Amino acid sequence: MIKSKNQLPWMLLLAAILIGLAAGTYGAVKKIDYSWRWHRVPQYFAYHGEDAQKIPFDGRVESITKKGGSAKVTLVSEDKTTKVVVVDANSLRVSQGEDLFQGDIVGFVRAWRPGPLMVGLWTTMWLSGISSVLALFIGLITGLCRVSKNFTLRWLATIYVEFIRGTPLLVQIFIAYFFVGTVFNLDRNVAGLGALSIFAGAYVAEMVRAGIQAIPPGQMEAARSLGMTIFQAMRYIILPQAFKKILPPLAGQFISLIKDSSLVSVIAITDLTKSGREIITSTFATFEVWLTVAAMYLVVTSLLSQVVFYLERRMAVSD
Amino acid sequence: MIKAQNVVKIFSGRGITVRAVDGVSTEVKKGEVIVIIGPSGSGKSTFLRCLNGLETFDEGHIIIDGVDLADRKTDINKVRAEVGMVFQQFNLFPHKTVLENLTLAQLVVRKRKRPAAEDKARQLLKKVGIPEKENEYPSRLSGGQQQRVAIARALAMDPKIMLFDEPTSALDPEMVGEVLDVMKQLAKEGMTMAVVTHEMGFAREVCERVLFMDQGKIVEEGTPEHFFKNPTEERTKLFLSQVL
Repeated sequence: MIKSKNQLPWMLLLAAILIGLAAGTYGAVKKIDYSWRWHRVPQYFAYHGEDAQKIPFDGRVESITKKGGSAKVTLVSEDKTTKVVVVDANSLRVSQGEDLFQGDIVGFVRAWRPGPLMVGLWTTMWLSGISSVLALFIGLITGLCRVSKNFTLRWLATIYVEFIRGTPLLVQIFIAYFFVGTVFNLDRNVAGLGALSIFAGAYVAEMVRAGIQAIPPGQMEAARSLGMTIFQAMRYIILPQAFKKILPPLAGQFISLIKDSSLVSVIAITDLTKSGREIITSTFATFEVWLTVAAMYLVVTSLLSQVVFYLERRMAVSD
Repeated sequence: MIKAQNVVKIFSGRGITVRAVDGVSTEVKKGEVIVIIGPSGSGKSTFLRCLNGLETFDEGHIIIDGVDLADRKTDINKVRAEVGMVFQQFNLFPHKTVLENLTLAQLVVRKRKRPAAEDKARQLLKKVGIPEKENEYPSRLSGGQQQRVAIARALAMDPKIMLFDEPTSALDPEMVGEVLDVMKQLAKEGMTMAVVTHEMGFAREVCERVLFMDQGKIVEEGTPEHFFKNPTEERTKLFLSQVL
């Protein structure tokens, strides 16, 4: 039988299913009479903010020079110190020679500012970024302990991994913040960061262990027979190969970490999820905001998958 | 150069203990080439692996160039740097090019400078007959080429002794010759060698002494002429009748 190469019917079917799902959702939402307010969402990405420029002393407007859209206002105080303030020309509130008191508004500067969604996204990114690095570090050390010949190291690592993998992340975050955080007086960001790193570290440790054990023992023997110490053999021979093997699951773990980091919102860290909740309390645009938040997570995780895909292909040269 | 005195290696697990090496004593002089043969499970590979500490042993002494491996104070890494080993499965480092395979241990163990290490590596690649492959990864090489790279990698450390653990057993038949040729040349140059092999031709042609092992013991040892023409022990005769 000749395999049919024509994918078109299947593409059409896929499109039909997706359209059907969308239509169904639309119809269901119509029924509950929800009024969509998508136009309220963009302002939470970025907004045109106004900064009031104030005079820092009692004084007088010495001169105003307008250039393009901005105005340069030179202010002079009673003891002859001068200060130059640049404001948007159409927001100018003073005129030449006018006497001003300290704190009077000279004008405004308008600029684009990141809204709560972007600020939250940034928090999510640095939280998961830093905890990924820490998790990699913790996981590497613990993974090495897991394959160590030393009884104490091996069991310490095992207990850590079992404890973390056997308890929910949400509970770990509560323990990190309300118990450990209280005892050691930790900032909530430190507690959140620590909980995420320690959580992901346990999973990374298992991957490192599996990766090391997947390398044929002959590699270690060859390295040792050349006179390398166990650390040199690990560093130059075993770990580079193991890392290549575990890159896909490792990337999956870090992508998971981005998603799991949404749980730190329960200890009032304003990440993307918490920002979303805060926006909803002021807009009641529940559907729009959660869909937007989901889409933002999706964009970040997909981008990361692409980067990993690229890395994997680059590292495949020696196969 | 190598002195083994009453070496015993016990494997134990699940209630069973096996004396894999059971009181082996022998001596290899500088420049001597010995071949160890025997049926599988006779402990010949295990004994060879004891010689550079890849396998620990339970009793006896192994003295390599004056250093006793049974002594707890012995730095095994120093001994290993002087004892090259070639494996059945080559065990090249797959993530490194041929040249990097040859230079890595020189750089990190011998602390040589990179240009010197690379010179040495190229010289050895020429010696084993594959100078053009230095930038290839091992997976792109044939089995015979990989094994020759493995020999060159061991030689790059300027070892005093070379151990070969069934170096041709994993090779396609047409590639055995090229590896044996390298080993023969090495023997001619006066390298001290201990070879575990099934290549009776190599044993007959190259070595000074053959050790026949069975069930962890040296059953018979002697010159190749004696060994292949007039073996005295029954077990040796039986084995030879099976392999020749």
